Amino acid sequence: MSKHEPISIDAIKAMMNLSDEDLKKPLPVPTAWSQPFWDAAREHRLVLKRCSKCGNIDHPPYLYCTACQADEHEWIEASGKGTLFAYAINYFGVPFPFWADLPYALGMIDLAEGVRMISNIVDCDFEELENGMELEVVFDDVTDEVTLPKWRPVRK
Amino acid sequence: MERGEFAIIGTGEVPCGNYPQRSEFEIAYTVAREAIRDAGIDVKDIGAVLCAQHIMSNPDNDYNTEMVFGRLPEAIGARGCKITCMTSSGGASSFSLRKTAEGILHSGETDTVLVVHAQRFSTFTPNQQAKYFSVAGSDVEWEVPYGMTYNALAAMITQAYMNITGTTIEQVAAVCVANRRWAMLQPNAMFNHKEITVEKVVNARMVSYPLTTLMCNVLGDGGSAFIMTTAEKARKVCDKPVYVLGEASDYSHRTITRAGMKDFATMSEYLFPIAKTAFERSGLGPEDMDIYQIYGSYPCIQLIIMDALGMWEPGTTGALVEAGETSPGGKYPVTTNGEALSFGHTGTGVGIALLVESVRQLQGKAGKAQVQGARFLIENTGGGAFMDCHFTVLGNEIPG
Ligand SMILES: [Zn+2]
Repeated sequence: MSKHEPISIDAIKAMMNLSDEDLKKPLPVPTAWSQPFWDAAREHRLVLKRCSKCGNIDHPPYLYCTACQADEHEWIEASGKGTLFAYAINYFGVPFPFWADLPYALGMIDLAEGVRMISNIVDCDFEELENGMELEVVFDDVTDEVTLPKWRPVRK
Repeated sequence: MERGEFAIIGTGEVPCGNYPQRSEFEIAYTVAREAIRDAGIDVKDIGAVLCAQHIMSNPDNDYNTEMVFGRLPEAIGARGCKITCMTSSGGASSFSLRKTAEGILHSGETDTVLVVHAQRFSTFTPNQQAKYFSVAGSDVEWEVPYGMTYNALAAMITQAYMNITGTTIEQVAAVCVANRRWAMLQPNAMFNHKEITVEKVVNARMVSYPLTTLMCNVLGDGGSAFIMTTAEKARKVCDKPVYVLGEASDYSHRTITRAGMKDFATMSEYLFPIAKTAFERSGLGPEDMDIYQIYGSYPCIQLIIMDALGMWEPGTTGALVEAGETSPGGKYPVTTNGEALSFGHTGTGVGIALLVESVRQLQGKAGKAQVQGARFLIENTGGGAFMDCHFTVLGNEIPG
């Protein structure tokens, strides 16, 4: 898809005079109400916040239910199944910590539970990406502390 | 607001581009004086001074603090000033500033408001700009850790829109070409010296598939200003006031995944009632417009907003642009300053520049870009991750 030569991370580092700190990837900083999501991700489980009063699922989760303002909630196990609504493939012009990963795919994933998520689509050829295709969750332990849920095509 | 209760009577603008030596204060003072002269008023008439928030302001460059604390009225000699304020709703700031001005005018405290925007990006390092702007439209907890960017957000919307409507990448590129043709007629545009072609746009470096560099906007230093008054005062001091005939707003989301419109092909279905309400309030319809001033920032968004006007079948506007109908000399002039893609992206100022150009068009002061005999136009703005939408119908007369 891109006929231009990629620019190496070393070239960018020298050109922009970047420190190692500048190349550190941003990680999620959980809030009190999102902590259970990230705790579960570390255990390679995908969970969603469901309101105990009205059944609404909020993702991203907020302090209280965005449908009825109730505090009472439970964290449910998501099926880990979804479909690809739309995608983009980053080739250039990304924050420097992601430069070494280029090119990489981002997608909007519609989860079976009805919420939508932005994540990376991994373990795939970009050519096979297709709107509506079935995806399944995978877990990427990006540090000892943080795991990011990502998605890949379902292999039949 | 009553129809035609408020009017804009003068504007000022500096060239947009790479001007590291030109401070935000120099821009603000310059555009303020130009707007005051253009409106033909006395500086002492100004009772309120409103500023747009500067993006990325920091302690070494504390324009925001100075403006919040009243630097501008003092510096320009606005001794009759009673009210100062800074307002921002990101890309939608032209609208929130104008609404604030309307509220102040409606209160009766003053009948003249000056609104100013100034921005400089070129003094920040590429790393600072990348850190700030690539992620400004994204959620820091849920999206940024995945390498999400503003361009990728627009790319996903474009990819979905093309997939659902059958719009081609050449048609998307044609929006960039049309915007560039308009910018070529604008002395203050950042990119006004070289035409581009669909082929060149499609074959430029891929940034975020399906968007190439020429489909992504470029940050520039710039600024503009306008003077707003009551219709009553406008008629006394100005030959050709530009009246606010109708406006309507809606907010959808912060995080794109929680957008009210789940399907971007039908994003126009979410936007359509907003445009319809603005038209109804103005007493005019889309077919009465001489110009369509669309703030999209990315080419596909321009198509989606055109889809929402009730003028063309949704999903067909790409073909209209490709046929040259929205370019200079076309049947439907769209975005006559070239907007973020070719005029330049000045942070909170993109919509303000488009509003200022709208006023120039309706005052017959748009120079080479002038749409002959323009009487009415619709203008839109929005901010964040396409969080909101505001449509405004402007006219140089109040229709009977
Ligand atoms: Zn609830």
